[in-house]
Amino acid sequence: MTIFTFALKRIFKDKTNLIFLTLFPVAAIFLPEPEYWPLLPYGYHYFGVLILFVGIRLTGLLVEDRQKGVVKRLAAAPVTHFQYLFQNLLAFSVIVIAQCIFMIAGGVIYDHELHEPLLLLILFIVFSFTAIALSLAWNSLYRNKETSFLVFMCVIIIMALLGGIMMPIEMLPDVLEQLAVIFPTYWLAEGMEWVVMGEDTADFLLINGVLLLYTLLFLIIGSIRRMG
Amino acid sequence: MRELYTMRFTALRLIRAWVVLLLLFVVPFVLVTLLSIIMGDAEEGGLLLRNEINVMMVLAFQLFGGSVAMNYIHQDFFTERRYRIQSLPMNTTLYGFTTMLIGTLYSIILGALLAGYTVLVWNVDWGNIAWSIFIIALMATLSSIVCLIFTFSVKKFNIAERLSEVYGVGAILIAGLIFPMPDHAVINWVNEYINPIMLAYEAIDAYRNANVGDAWMNAGLLGGLIVITFVIMLLLGRRRMP
Amino acid sequence: MTIAAMQGIVKRYGNELALDYVDLSIHEGEIIGLLGPNGAGKTTLIHTLLGMIPFDKGSIQLFGRTEKVFSHENKQKMGLVTQELTVFEDLTAKENLEFFAGVYGLKGEERKKRVEEALAFVGLSSNAGKTPAKFSGGMKRRLNIACALTHHPKFLIMDEPTVGIDPQSRNHILETVEKLREQGTTILYTTHYMEEVQTIASRVVIVDQGQIITEGTVNELIANIQHEEKINIDVSTPGDVPVERLKGLEGVKNVHVDGSTVQIISTVGSGNLDRVLSLVKETSGVVGIQAEKPDLEDVFLTLTGKQLRDGEEE
Repeated sequence: MTIFTFALKRIFKDKTNLIFLTLFPVAAIFLPEPEYWPLLPYGYHYFGVLILFVGIRLTGLLVEDRQKGVVKRLAAAPVTHFQYLFQNLLAFSVIVIAQCIFMIAGGVIYDHELHEPLLLLILFIVFSFTAIALSLAWNSLYRNKETSFLVFMCVIIIMALLGGIMMPIEMLPDVLEQLAVIFPTYWLAEGMEWVVMGEDTADFLLINGVLLLYTLLFLIIGSIRRMG
Repeated sequence: MRELYTMRFTALRLIRAWVVLLLLFVVPFVLVTLLSIIMGDAEEGGLLLRNEINVMMVLAFQLFGGSVAMNYIHQDFFTERRYRIQSLPMNTTLYGFTTMLIGTLYSIILGALLAGYTVLVWNVDWGNIAWSIFIIALMATLSSIVCLIFTFSVKKFNIAERLSEVYGVGAILIAGLIFPMPDHAVINWVNEYINPIMLAYEAIDAYRNANVGDAWMNAGLLGGLIVITFVIMLLLGRRRMP
Repeated sequence: MTIAAMQGIVKRYGNELALDYVDLSIHEGEIIGLLGPNGAGKTTLIHTLLGMIPFDKGSIQLFGRTEKVFSHENKQKMGLVTQELTVFEDLTAKENLEFFAGVYGLKGEERKKRVEEALAFVGLSSNAGKTPAKFSGGMKRRLNIACALTHHPKFLIMDEPTVGIDPQSRNHILETVEKLREQGTTILYTTHYMEEVQTIASRVVIVDQGQIITEGTVNELIANIQHEEKINIDVSTPGDVPVERLKGLEGVKNVHVDGSTVQIISTVGSGNLDRVLSLVKETSGVVGIQAEKPDLEDVFLTLTGKQLRDGEEE
């Protein structure tokens, strides 16, 4: 598990990562509760956006490895590419799971109205996996970490707007509302609405199922490219 | 003037930086388009929401225009390239200023294009477009100066970059554009006298409502910020510039 | 005529002495090879000479001026090839040259001509329209040099221009330096590759730990340290080598037999190669012979007690 350990070490050595992983979630916990919309406190409603940023930052490590030729060196070492990806992704997953638990625990202690904290935690964790897989796939398209990050930032803004995070999905014109289902953020927004409204259990399973399907799809796309 | 001669090349470099164009023009362009479609002719308190949101959107992106000047000054004066620049028979300080000028002009041009687009295609009311472009120019200038202050005041450039993001996102956040801010005296004061995006919006909005006095007051506050930050920038720059 | 002179230059970084009372004169038409290991202070010396970093003590003279030494007028006569690649990655090779040519005050047709000339000089004419991002390491290095040439500097300073490139590109760059010398350019060339200095330099200055430890032509420096001559002879029957008889020859200081090689060390100018050879031929059958000559590496080793390549990163 050397790659796993070193992935963790490298992530925590970066100060910006630390801010993303500690300061921002803490600040998010303390954000106020809205009057009408969104349904969850602001910090929780926008948590998905933070997760996307964390995802692209964590997986940026792999672009760096490709940029610096570390991937090539590893190809010569007795480690399979699968092991390399798996151990890195495992490290990223451990971090985001910890962050989600921290967020929900913080909210419960702070006495936010989270309706179903455990189900919300599951939703956040599943979405975190989607975010990591999506950024893995995204990063596989780029040779340069900075460019990848900047362009992904634009994508996050568009996804948040059209996925129903920045404004209720019902406000979008019909065409855009129908198009919104292609964004993982749409399913996150739907999931958060479900946690608050709590209707059919099957719906919640469907939402998480779609997110997991997306995760699988992005993982496949992201792991095809090896050396660059 | 050898320093002026370099401007053509700074402009060339800038035009080729497609990421800058994507971030400062394409993204706001897409957002303005989407928001205009979404808002349609919705009104709030008798005001067209489209007018308010589009103006805010164009102004918000001006907060990030300074990243251009910041990056180019960093590359030319704080990396190994500084030695080559220093060996040239020209006034390097003046060269720095021309670089900053080009970066700021670029941000203004993109802002003006966006404003023009919202007027022509989405019929957004900017009041007086010339006045609005003047306000956009003030915001672009302020952003460049603030970003350079960050460049000069920290040792690591990526921290300066993060600070510039804090400046932009912070201003948007405090203005209550992402979610409403609590009604707190300090926040209100900041929005009324310091937050550039609010000052710029108020200046444009006041002119739109034929309230020229208020418009000039807000523009004056922006100008005041520019003067103060410019002095700070000069002092820090003299210390840090090679 | 003296192009540049440093007198008693001291430069400190905190407690560390980067330049330790450096005296150096550079005369018109010379190619000075500034040789020293990594971290010896070569780049600091250059940056100080160009007025890019302040120094603590001493004085600098450039083109006969002792006041306003780093004026634009003086900078106009100089060119700097930096150790790092300091070209604009987002401008084409031609645009890079146009930028620097323009900053050096060249205009119109003259500028156009000089840019074409510089491109041809470093062999980049056919790649003029490409950005350096598409160049190989050697091509980038050559562009880096060309950027300092359009204005035909009288005094060119090249800071390790061949670091990290293939031998072919290195030869190309060394040929470029030769051509510049033929045109009358005075050159200060820093490197930690002694072969380069041996090939091109008219005078060598060796630096270590911020001090100039010696200077002179390659032959002078070698002669200074050469106290003995070494002759290596490969023989077919090493057991029969007449070691004692060899030792008895005049001037011979020592004789080693190592495998099938006999090494004979004698004092400089003893001229006994003939005698040694005939003795060995009689008894052991000579297969091969080498007379080992000391090089700059040995000069450095003798003066500092360490190898030139010590601490080399590449």
